[in-house]
Amino acid sequence: MTKKWTILKTAIAGVAIASFSAFSASAEEPKFAWYASTVHPYFDEVQKGVDAFAKDTGVEVTKRLGQDWTQDNQNENVAAMAAQGFNYFSIFPSDVSGAKGLYEELAERGVTIVDFGQATQEPTPAAFYVGTQLKQAAMQATEALVKSMGGKGNIINILEVPGENTRLRREGVEEVVAKYPDVNIIQTVGDLSTIEDSVEKVQNAIAANLGKIDGMIATGYTPTVAVAELLTEYHEQGGDRIHFFGIDTDAVVLDAIRAGHIDGTLAQNPYGHGYISMALLKMMSEGFKPVEGQHAIDAGVLTVTKDNIDNFQGEISDLTKGIINSLEGEYLTK
Amino acid sequence: MFMKRLRAGRIITGAEAGILGAAALLVVIFALASDSFLTQYNIFNLTRTQSLYMFVALSQAIMLVTGNMNLSVGAIAGLTAVTFGYTVDTLGLPWPLCIAIALGVSLATGFFNGFVMTKLGVNSFIVTLSTLFIFTGIVYGVSEGYSYRNIPAAFKTIGRGSFLGLPYLFYLMLGTLLAVWYMFRHTIFGRQLLATGSNAEAAELSGINTHRVIMGANFLSSLFAGIGGLLWVSRLGSAQPAIGENWLIISFAVAIIGGTALAGGRITALGLFAGGLIMVLIKNGLILVQANVYFEQAFLGSIILLTILLDRAREVWAKRTNRS
Repeated sequence: MTKKWTILKTAIAGVAIASFSAFSASAEEPKFAWYASTVHPYFDEVQKGVDAFAKDTGVEVTKRLGQDWTQDNQNENVAAMAAQGFNYFSIFPSDVSGAKGLYEELAERGVTIVDFGQATQEPTPAAFYVGTQLKQAAMQATEALVKSMGGKGNIINILEVPGENTRLRREGVEEVVAKYPDVNIIQTVGDLSTIEDSVEKVQNAIAANLGKIDGMIATGYTPTVAVAELLTEYHEQGGDRIHFFGIDTDAVVLDAIRAGHIDGTLAQNPYGHGYISMALLKMMSEGFKPVEGQHAIDAGVLTVTKDNIDNFQGEISDLTKGIINSLEGEYLTK
Repeated sequence: MFMKRLRAGRIITGAEAGILGAAALLVVIFALASDSFLTQYNIFNLTRTQSLYMFVALSQAIMLVTGNMNLSVGAIAGLTAVTFGYTVDTLGLPWPLCIAIALGVSLATGFFNGFVMTKLGVNSFIVTLSTLFIFTGIVYGVSEGYSYRNIPAAFKTIGRGSFLGLPYLFYLMLGTLLAVWYMFRHTIFGRQLLATGSNAEAAELSGINTHRVIMGANFLSSLFAGIGGLLWVSRLGSAQPAIGENWLIISFAVAIIGGTALAGGRITALGLFAGGLIMVLIKNGLILVQANVYFEQAFLGSIILLTILLDRAREVWAKRTNRS
């Protein structure tokens, strides 16, 4: 049943792309689109960057959110947009491996794609990836955690759902910990896809290691929010101090930093993910080509603690400006 | 007297004893395997999670007992949580009123599901599969993916406070299970639910308005899902739109481990209690023994299957003993 359904959906996507092909032969002018999997605070922030780009340049960008996180859903929606004549896409690939099939079909018909947020596995038809360098970000967060622990102690490594991105994050954490002989990972908790799962598993891990935990690190959005909630409750009820660094700047996480229940988080640059990816597409529509060997553009991350919690947005904005100014020459050439 | 009633199966039936035995066995194994298992912190968290699971399981079990199902329980919980968050945080209404509004919304979802099932004659699988998407869409449409954070401290106490070392939620669960036991054992509506699930045609022929009974089951299912959603808000301290996303499997697993018949007509409050306990014990145990995170789901599924097989073996053994 599932297989038949997948075949049917692939056929529908194929028909949509074929009709786009016929249409695109007569449509030369660039039409810009931005596509993300579904409703999420991260995508809201990215859209602000896209909107700012549209306002600054006067370029019309059609934005579309899908209905869920599956690649199937993305295939159908993006193929339908391609059939409408859109030929420059900024896309958050729902599945970093599964999206390649869609991209290959689009690229064959001359569509230009830039990944944002997470990169499709290479080799990929996407011209660029704009986002966070996951392994480096995990390393940065771990360094901050180890520093907050005074360079020694036991930590719990909290991972999101298994996959390529999680593997990179895990490697990043483990590489940093390996540098410090007095720091040990006493438990790794994983497969955390929902808030309830995250809360339950992390509190189980705290219970299993009670009195032995000095720090925790989470490198995914959902576990970070869950741990922020959990440590707020844990510390309010008199539990021993557990240091924590997470990722992303959900309001719940920022509240916990302000209240001193967690040490900090890594702010990504979602505004830049939106703005920079659209700027790349516009320049490529004007005849610029990617510089050979350039693919991933690190939009930067910033460590947010109590010290800079009220002004980190300004620092992130500066990061974006710097990257925009370097696009011509460093990443694109005519 | 008590022992006589116990042996006669009037207090604990053979099926319940099997499930409780499996839970007790797991407690012993984990207590021996880890020093951390019987700590106050772990017992508090285990019982709190078990209590939350119980409301998830009840929302499904009450439908299963009538021979139907509710795939939208998680979405109803999410909708209830977001309604509460929106009214208390965005609108600034008093939190008791917000609870009433949120539970009103959850009951409305139960009415909608029940109406389509009974008045329009649509299968419960199809109805609730559709409303799973409808309610989830509303959750994200209203919240836009953001959580509501200004939750009153008094409300958070429900999910975080304790009495005699056990969470308030545990006592709430016991009270609820007692009410469920009483309903199925001593009320007409409870017997009608069982009769409808055992054989809907026979129930109708004997004068039971099965449509009314199924409508009632939908109300109860959505009420339990709504309460579960609110308790998660209280426990987390924020109303997250993602609440309920992982409920579907848990709702079926705990209900079935707890002895609720998939085909309808059988439910046991004590079995549900043990089913919830088994589920949290397994998850807790996997962390305690530091199971490989990549194989965790395989371990979880295997242990659940093993628990059910042990209970099935006990049933077969009991039948053979009775024959001889």
